[in-house]
Amino acid sequence: MNESPFENLRLELRRGSLVLAVLAQLRVEHYGYTLRKALADEGLEMDESTLYPLLRRLETQGLLASEWREEDKRNKRFYRLSKEGKVVLKQLLEEWRGMGESLDRILREVKV
Amino acid sequence: MNLLSRYLQAVARLLPKARRHDIIEELRSNILARMEDRAEELGHPLTEDLQAEILRRHGNPTLVAGRYREGNLGLAFGRQLIGPELFPFYKNVLMLNLSITLVIVGIVSLTVGRAAFPGILLPLVLQVMVITLIFALLDRYKGAVLDKWDPRKLPALKPNADGYGPNARSIFEFICLALGTVWLALTPQWPYLMLGPGALYLPALELKFWPRWPLFYGAIVALLCAELVLRFFTLFRWLPRRRAQILDLVLRGIGVSVGVLLYLQGPHYVSSRYPEVAAWANLTFGVSIAVAIAIHAWRAGWLLFSLWRVRERMLPAGQH
Repeated sequence: MNESPFENLRLELRRGSLVLAVLAQLRVEHYGYTLRKALADEGLEMDESTLYPLLRRLETQGLLASEWREEDKRNKRFYRLSKEGKVVLKQLLEEWRGMGESLDRILREVKV
Repeated sequence: MNLLSRYLQAVARLLPKARRHDIIEELRSNILARMEDRAEELGHPLTEDLQAEILRRHGNPTLVAGRYREGNLGLAFGRQLIGPELFPFYKNVLMLNLSITLVIVGIVSLTVGRAAFPGILLPLVLQVMVITLIFALLDRYKGAVLDKWDPRKLPALKPNADGYGPNARSIFEFICLALGTVWLALTPQWPYLMLGPGALYLPALELKFWPRWPLFYGAIVALLCAELVLRFFTLFRWLPRRRAQILDLVLRGIGVSVGVLLYLQGPHYVSSRYPEVAAWANLTFGVSIAVAIAIHAWRAGWLLFSLWRVRERMLPAGQH
């Protein structure tokens, strides 16, 4: 059955911010699983079946660069932020901070 | 890790062929890393139940594959009817259904001699509506339908999902190649095998091969025997796939070279009595060699591309 309205809104709220978190985390090189762990360590749990295809999409958009490399006797695909990705991350961060400040001002008045 | 292989097989079946191998290898390395972490946490190897739990959490193969499909498109009328996970499958089913209908209508039109197209509009609209309704319901209740699955009930592993080793195709190809080699080796003694009853007319036609033909004939039979041996080895996986591909590439390269040399040696047949018959035989022979060269060159090109693709994928950092 479909999720509750809260669940839908929560997912929508998370969707955009996950991209930002992934881009920011990939300033340091990671492969899929370690990236997921790094995000979880920062309190941002993400489904594997959402994260791994997202990495592919961001790479297709030119925001990430990847390469296969052997580590611990196994080939792994490592991702890192591309040159274009760094520019976009900077723009997104400015947008995020601007929105955050506005939301802070608006939400300061809200009493639940 | 049989369960993981079965899971990846189920996901692979639904992925676009061009990106399948790459995505599956990445998923394999990520899931294995997670399983190893879990085993380390617990202090013992994972039981099948624990492996199944990790795969179940990873997601239903249909949904996982859907998320890897390009486009991230969906269908919406006001609210979303079909999400991006199921939309690629919806699109494929719809296209297949409509194509079959159009082919049937085309055949009916040709058979009865008048266009059956005007009457097709209603069935087409109905098909679109029914398929859309089924997928919209599936999307709406996918949590209840697709999330309740058990990795232990996934289909068994197909013995040769990668197409390498003893499968129906490779066995069939091996038998054909063996029969072809024997057939070619026997034709000088029994021209009947190649020409049928026409072989009886050969002495009267005075049709002769040019003198260097035995040398080329020997090279072709030797190449076929070498390919037969290589296929025998690959049939039983006695050679690593990459090494077998390199050897196959070498044989194809030699095959193309021999073919080109043979082609340039023409005319291959001479007949002092019936030059028009010799001309016809030369034309047929020339076309056959050209076709053989094209097939070998195409195969060699494909092998080169496959080897290059694997090399690109496996190259260490900084060597691209």
